[in-house]
Amino acid sequence: MWVLAVGLLLAHNGYLWLVKGVVPDTDILALLPVQQRDPVLQQAFTHMVDAAQQRVIVLVGADDWEHARSAANAYNAVLAKHADVLQTGMQLSEQSQQDWLAPSQQMRLSLLTPSQQDALRAQPAKYWSDTALQQLYSPFSGPKLGAWQDDPFGLFSGWVQARAQETPVRPRDGYLFVEDKGRPYIVLLMTLRQPAFSMATQRAVLPLLEQAGAAARQAVPSVELVSAGVVLHAGAGSAQASREMSTIGVGSLLGIILLMWLTFRSLRPIGLIMLSIAVGCLGAFSVCWLIFGQVHLLTLVFGASLIGVAQDYGIYFLCNRVSADRKLDSRQLLRRLMPGLLLTLTAAVIGYVGLALTPFPGLRQMALFSVIGLLFAWLTVIFWFPALVSAATLNSSSFAAWFGQTRRHWPLLKWNGASLLALLLFASFALTGIARLKVNDDIRSLQTPPKALLADQIKLGKLLDAPTPVQFYLVRGASAEQVLQREEALKQKLEPLIARHVISGYQAMSSWTPSLQAQQANRTLVTQALLAPDGPLKAVAAQLGEDQGWIRQMRERALSGAASANGGQALTPEAFLKTAASEPSRHLWLGKVDSPEGAIYASIVALRGVDNYANLPLLQQAGEQLAGVQWVDKVSEISSVLGHYRQYMGWVLLGAYAAIYMLLFARYRFAAWRVLAPPALASIATLAVLGLIGQPLQLFHVLALMLILGLGVDYGIFMQEQSLQRDRFAWLTVGLSAASALLSFGLLALSGTPPLHAFGFTMLIGIAVVWMIAPCFSQDSPKEEKQ
Amino acid sequence: MKAHNAFSPRSILMAVLLAAAACSAFAAAPVDKIQAMLARPPVLCGRFDQSKQLVGIKKPLLSNGRFCVVSGKGVLWRTLQPFPNTLRLTRDEIVQMQGDRVAMRMDAKQEPVVKMINGVLFSLLAGDLSQLETLFELDGSVTGNSWNVALKARQPALAKAIGTLALSGGAYVKTVTINEASGDRTEISFSGLQSGSSAMTAEEGAALE
Repeated sequence: MWVLAVGLLLAHNGYLWLVKGVVPDTDILALLPVQQRDPVLQQAFTHMVDAAQQRVIVLVGADDWEHARSAANAYNAVLAKHADVLQTGMQLSEQSQQDWLAPSQQMRLSLLTPSQQDALRAQPAKYWSDTALQQLYSPFSGPKLGAWQDDPFGLFSGWVQARAQETPVRPRDGYLFVEDKGRPYIVLLMTLRQPAFSMATQRAVLPLLEQAGAAARQAVPSVELVSAGVVLHAGAGSAQASREMSTIGVGSLLGIILLMWLTFRSLRPIGLIMLSIAVGCLGAFSVCWLIFGQVHLLTLVFGASLIGVAQDYGIYFLCNRVSADRKLDSRQLLRRLMPGLLLTLTAAVIGYVGLALTPFPGLRQMALFSVIGLLFAWLTVIFWFPALVSAATLNSSSFAAWFGQTRRHWPLLKWNGASLLALLLFASFALTGIARLKVNDDIRSLQTPPKALLADQIKLGKLLDAPTPVQFYLVRGASAEQVLQREEALKQKLEPLIARHVISGYQAMSSWTPSLQAQQANRTLVTQALLAPDGPLKAVAAQLGEDQGWIRQMRERALSGAASANGGQALTPEAFLKTAASEPSRHLWLGKVDSPEGAIYASIVALRGVDNYANLPLLQQAGEQLAGVQWVDKVSEISSVLGHYRQYMGWVLLGAYAAIYMLLFARYRFAAWRVLAPPALASIATLAVLGLIGQPLQLFHVLALMLILGLGVDYGIFMQEQSLQRDRFAWLTVGLSAASALLSFGLLALSGTPPLHAFGFTMLIGIAVVWMIAPCFSQDSPKEEKQ
Repeated sequence: MKAHNAFSPRSILMAVLLAAAACSAFAAAPVDKIQAMLARPPVLCGRFDQSKQLVGIKKPLLSNGRFCVVSGKGVLWRTLQPFPNTLRLTRDEIVQMQGDRVAMRMDAKQEPVVKMINGVLFSLLAGDLSQLETLFELDGSVTGNSWNVALKARQPALAKAIGTLALSGGAYVKTVTINEASGDRTEISFSGLQSGSSAMTAEEGAALE
């Protein structure tokens, strides 16, 4: 029957890998919990991040404009052939600025910058008449967004310039460009056609970008290419994970084969253990795929470490077979081993269930993958090993014999002075270490992008002065008008922060389309300050030799223009979003969204120049106490979630100790503590070591402690079971098992991915300690000495 | 990252540059000739008289003052009549002073095209036709010691924004005429030109530092 089940597994796996050509998911965000409590916030974040995620930006820099252009052309020529993968965004319209800005220009009396509003309130008439005349007489600076008469005081020009200051990017010769210290950079904007986190996309896009870069370098050898995009990071992450998966997987496999060879001097046991592991992995993959519809790459990386646990069952059986009476039938032997085998499986499952209790979808998947993998490996041992292994199959080696003997050298824990001293020493070591233990839940410490990518990212951020997608204000209101009014209240709080250089600026829909209330106020302000009959126009008329009639004419021109503009309608976000000029602002307006309270309106106020994280509290303060305004800091939010679950997992761990203790108590009664003490002490020692070397504690350390419990209990059970049977081969089982666990989990400490490193490092110390101290907790059984 | 189109409302020349056309191989014979006629002193100062005729305003707007063009440094344009106003263009900024008040300042850091504007303005005043040729089609004629050049923007959007330019001169540029599409017309003539180290007053020298 098991043959049939395994056959099915093989077929399903074959189908998935060969027919469907499945590729593992690599989105690291899939490891994070889905934010469900605030759908509007979630939507806002998706709105900001999804667009950013699909974008690739390349700056092509050269010593002069001509070279930059030819390099950019060479780059684009390569990409143009692959428009199905990467869409290049060279959509600079041929329209003149006038056409482009026409909708805003018509409404110019309604549009003022904050500093213009201040000046209109504070400055005397002479200031404005001087401004108007200076622009008239100056040879090279006439207001060229329309006739002078339409904007005599340069207000609209000033407003447009303020909008232009929201980015340093400028069009030039049909390209977008920025300049840095006299060096021109052409900005190439590209959009991925497929999700950035799909490995297929990465495989298609990364070589293409390489190729385009090579073409640019060939055209202009001195070209400087600065690239950024989520896909680059995702690609680097996947490459590293794949690399690690194969090295760690292969490394642990080779180590284990070597160990088996030393112990049994035969290839057969190796084959058998590999068989159980293989069935485990196949089963885990199949079931995960059926349940989740996909398997995350990190699950597979984590799964590589599954080998360490899955082999325990096989080793346990084989070691016992070697040591058992040759006359004993394999099936009878299995029956005798059954309680121990069941206990170890149950304990391991309890350990992994802790992982499954986290709200991280990725971790749940890893937990399920592991539990299923263990179960299938276990079942393979139960069903097939007795049939395939007979007493004649195995021979004990001298290595096995020697190793079994070494247990004698371990001191047993007894009520004596030496034990007390050891305990005291350990306690002082643990206390010093744990006292120094710090915690760090910062999500940023979980990412280590390659240095070059990071440097590019920083440079690009600086050159483009782009708004950050992870920190922004979310503004809500019952109507679009209310949202805009609330934005305006927020902007008043932000202006002083710009003056203090906390931020370099902000982007808001209300800068383009003020609320109706503000539009009205602006018109009133301009009319009163500038268009009054005896206002600044009078001095201008006197200088120009014009009369009252001219003043009236100017006034009427401004007012009737404002009244008839836009078909007599005020400027609204909906209308503005239909114009070409809105393209750079579309990410700001969420518009009408569904929320638990019914349909509401929402928008984003984005910030530029947030480069000092110490300033974040100031920004948070700015949004406080403003109705409908919420400060959103995704980075600290995720970090606090990680912190929350670190604590939460700590309690789960303690709960698991309690649950396993109950389980063990059912079988071992008052000796149950002997099984749990080694992993508990090892965990304490691990925490102390982390404290002493100054590595801050994070969620992944705690997850590893969970696994130390799972494995440590196995060893305790092996020792305990066998000491019941007075068998010295227990030590061999534990030794083999711990050594291979160290090979598989400990090798994760070499990983460059911080979470895996933290996990592996904890396992390395923890398992080593469990292994070393497990024999000390054996019951003092004098009969063993008889051997 | 968001790419705005640039808005550079303060200057005709800004618009010129925003729509800058590709350089063509065109170089009419007279241009080379004119180029050869022009003296290109490192410092050139003199008086300017400007007349602006604007649509909707009856009287032409007359102004005059002094200007200096210093190679490698920039341009100082000081209107004295009808009221004092100073325009200073250096490598990194354009500053307009109204009396003691800074009426306008454009920084090359914030507005990258500032450098290009300055370059073109410099070429215009110094008569560096080869530079102007990247943006304009030049059509020139030479009679005796004097020359005329008409400049037509190479791109329609630019032509719409600026109209046409005309330069005339001999060893130096003597007049600049700007005919805008809107019908506004500006004529500037230069006189009392001096070159050499004594051309610039100490005050002017300090203003350009």
